[in-house]
Amino acid sequence: MKNHALNKWIIQRVSAVVLMPLLLFFLYSLVDLVNKDYTGALDFFDNYLSIIIFTLFLIFAGLHLKLGLGEIIEDYIQDERLKGVLNKIIMLYSAVLPVVGIISLIIIIL
Amino acid sequence: MEKNSGPLSPHLQIYKWQFSSLLSITHRLTGTINTVGFFVIVLWILFLALGPEYYNFYQTFLRSFIGKFILVGFTWSFVYHMFNGIRHLAWDFGYGYEIKTANLSGIIVLFLSILTTFFIWII
Repeated sequence: MKNHALNKWIIQRVSAVVLMPLLLFFLYSLVDLVNKDYTGALDFFDNYLSIIIFTLFLIFAGLHLKLGLGEIIEDYIQDERLKGVLNKIIMLYSAVLPVVGIISLIIIIL
Repeated sequence: MEKNSGPLSPHLQIYKWQFSSLLSITHRLTGTINTVGFFVIVLWILFLALGPEYYNFYQTFLRSFIGKFILVGFTWSFVYHMFNGIRHLAWDFGYGYEIKTANLSGIIVLFLSILTTFFIWII
């Protein structure tokens, strides 16, 4: 139990550090992408670096948000049953979004 | 009914507001907002994969005034969370606990987050 909490603590910090450069790259390209049309956006992903960075971003953001929201639930929700339900919703949310994102990226590059 | 008697965090309704606690709460608030921003991002990638009709529909919304406002807001939220996260990491390593230092780093984080958002969108 103790090690489990420590692992979560470490993963939360490591994912935070990994996300920093990914986020900056992502936000910088977002502004560029908003002004591009469909073919322009496809061109952006016709590049392994973009695909790799977006994939890593999806994975680490999913991991980081799961731990972060879980921590908030732990701090503010006392009812064990409600806590269990909310944690399941968070788990689903943090897993489905990266999976949908990665499948979409695969469709885009195919 | 069996209740968990574990400690809870201070209830925000009765907590005395201070600059430090405001920034701390904002960290969690922006973290939660970022999870919604993440949804917007994934939806954007999904619509790009689904084809031009879906993508253009979404893009038209994002390019509108409300869409831009939302995107700039999410950008600030992400950037603030990142800079304040660095502050948290420094605390994890035992640095910056003095009240003066913590307040100063808080002001720097606030300033940097606004400046970075400005740079990302204007320049």
